[in-house]
Amino acid sequence: MAPDARPEPLLRVTDVSRSFRHRRTSLLRPPARTHAVRGVTMEVAEGQRFGLVGESGSGKSTMLRLLAALDHPTSGTIEFEGQVVSGRPERELGFLRRDLQIVFQDPMASLDPRMRVGDIICEPLIAQGHDEASRRARLDELLDAVGLPGAAARRWPHQFSGGQRQRIAIARALSTHPRVLLADEPVSALDVSVRAQVLNLLTTLVDQFTLTLVFVSHDLSVVQHVCDTIAVMRRGELVEQGPTRRVATAPTHPYTRQLLGAVPHLRAALAGRDAAALAAGATTGDRSQ
Amino acid sequence: MSAAAQPPDPSSPAQPSGSSSSATAVGEAIVVRDLSVRAGSLGLVHDVSFTIDKGERVGLIGESGSGKSLTALALMGLLPDGLAAAGHVGLHGVEGNLLDLRERRRSVLRGNAMSMVFQEPMTALNPLMKVGRQVAEVLEVHDTATGRGARDRAVDLLGQVHLREPEQVADRYPHQLSGGQRQRVMLAIALANGPALLICDEPTTALDVTVQAQMLDLIVSGVEARDAGLLFITHDLAVVATVCERVLVMYGGHIVEAGTVGDVFTAPRHHYTAGLLAASDIDRAGPDGMLPTIAGTVPPAGRFPAGCVFRTRCGAADEACHVPPPWVGTVDDGMACVHPVDDRAPAGTGLEVADGA
Repeated sequence: MAPDARPEPLLRVTDVSRSFRHRRTSLLRPPARTHAVRGVTMEVAEGQRFGLVGESGSGKSTMLRLLAALDHPTSGTIEFEGQVVSGRPERELGFLRRDLQIVFQDPMASLDPRMRVGDIICEPLIAQGHDEASRRARLDELLDAVGLPGAAARRWPHQFSGGQRQRIAIARALSTHPRVLLADEPVSALDVSVRAQVLNLLTTLVDQFTLTLVFVSHDLSVVQHVCDTIAVMRRGELVEQGPTRRVATAPTHPYTRQLLGAVPHLRAALAGRDAAALAAGATTGDRSQ
Repeated sequence: MSAAAQPPDPSSPAQPSGSSSSATAVGEAIVVRDLSVRAGSLGLVHDVSFTIDKGERVGLIGESGSGKSLTALALMGLLPDGLAAAGHVGLHGVEGNLLDLRERRRSVLRGNAMSMVFQEPMTALNPLMKVGRQVAEVLEVHDTATGRGARDRAVDLLGQVHLREPEQVADRYPHQLSGGQRQRVMLAIALANGPALLICDEPTTALDVTVQAQMLDLIVSGVEARDAGLLFITHDLAVVATVCERVLVMYGGHIVEAGTVGDVFTAPRHHYTAGLLAASDIDRAGPDGMLPTIAGTVPPAGRFPAGCVFRTRCGAADEACHVPPPWVGTVDDGMACVHPVDDRAPAGTGLEVADGA
């Protein structure tokens, strides 16, 4: 995917670990630590659609925060286009704030209820120092790109449904012309029909703006649909990584098999795969009935 | 409300509910006829009718805002202030219409003859009480067991929902348990008194997939062991297909289609069902990677169109849809659409069950 002269991956994660210290519970013993991410090494190439899958506590959200340099690793390095971003102070990360943007899971929590939609979408541009005229022009483009009417700019987040709010969050993320979009469970709070709309929108926008996508989700079926590469995390470690088709059809790690075995599937269920078979699949990774 | 969407069907007349206080093994767990929920003059749930037999598992699906949870709360008698239910609800072993009973009588039934598992176990459990005590409490309140007996029975129930070391778990507080463990405790409480009907409202939505798989298995085996009826509410069609035998599809406060899971999911007749199925079927994206969607969004309560509630989002809608569509078929196997999905329609409808997994 990467253009010829640049074999360099867009994002490179080298042996990254992140641990958090707990509150001290004893005067004599050191406080306990949680190792949220342990020795993760991975690369995301330009134009790739990279899916990061794991259950709660797997470290996928911590990994996403590290990629966005919202948090910094305890050890290891993260590079964006060859530049180390991990451990750097915020004032040196202006380029990353422009080139890499995030869409969060819960669009009600990630949009300020006291700001009008237009101001929400343009806020990153203010931070990037754009003047008002260029901001206004960009706002119309963005609303159009995510399929919202121009009048939406003057309204408040609570006046929109969950799917529309997620469109607003996507518009805000695209405002700075980013090259990488990080999406943290962007559809797990949405109904199926709206989920399909938002997934279609993401697919369209990623193509239209030639974005690199890092898609974090617990839902393997959604990741399979959206991504060309899948990385599976468990208890802070990367247990398997590879092209979507290979991981989905011939998983090598037992945990990936369990994860695949536990996903309820419409067709399989109609063919007779009941709850007991699903539970068995979740423990053994057996996807036959 | 204008004409009833589901007139009582001659072939399956409304059952004289509650006639079977002598618990028959075969019989109805719950009979619901023309259940409506209103907030003042605003109708939220309209003429909902269905029957769940003992030992039968029925799914209730639809997008958020379609009235699924309100239906469940109306059955449980837990509607928030300002909302009122009307219609007829007959519960196995209870004389008369549940909706006519006084709150005092209903509170005796809740957690006993009928119980419910909610989506978020952290808010449903009491944070100040050990979970074993909470299970024992539901036994004591309904005089099923007392004192030491209640405690032993509670530990037994916690073991039945596959909590490891149930004796130790019984002495923990909810915050010391994981989400999956808490939801198992909720299930143990709900099943404690052997209810005739268990209602589950999105019980696994907040859980990881591997935990969800085990939880679904526990729910199915739990209701099977007690020969209880199950009403399972979810927006996840794959989960319904895994757990349930029959399904009710709800939109805009109406049941728009009902039937066996096999029939409804392979040959949907209502366009809303077909739309939901197509949007859920994530493996069947078009060559451009696009998923089929349902146009528009669910309108807020009170803004649904007159006539067919789905017509503003339906590709097949025309003049004929401006009047409420009649219910075609029996109460438990039918639909309300004047332009049903054509069986021979080429694409976008239903699922072919091709290769097993």
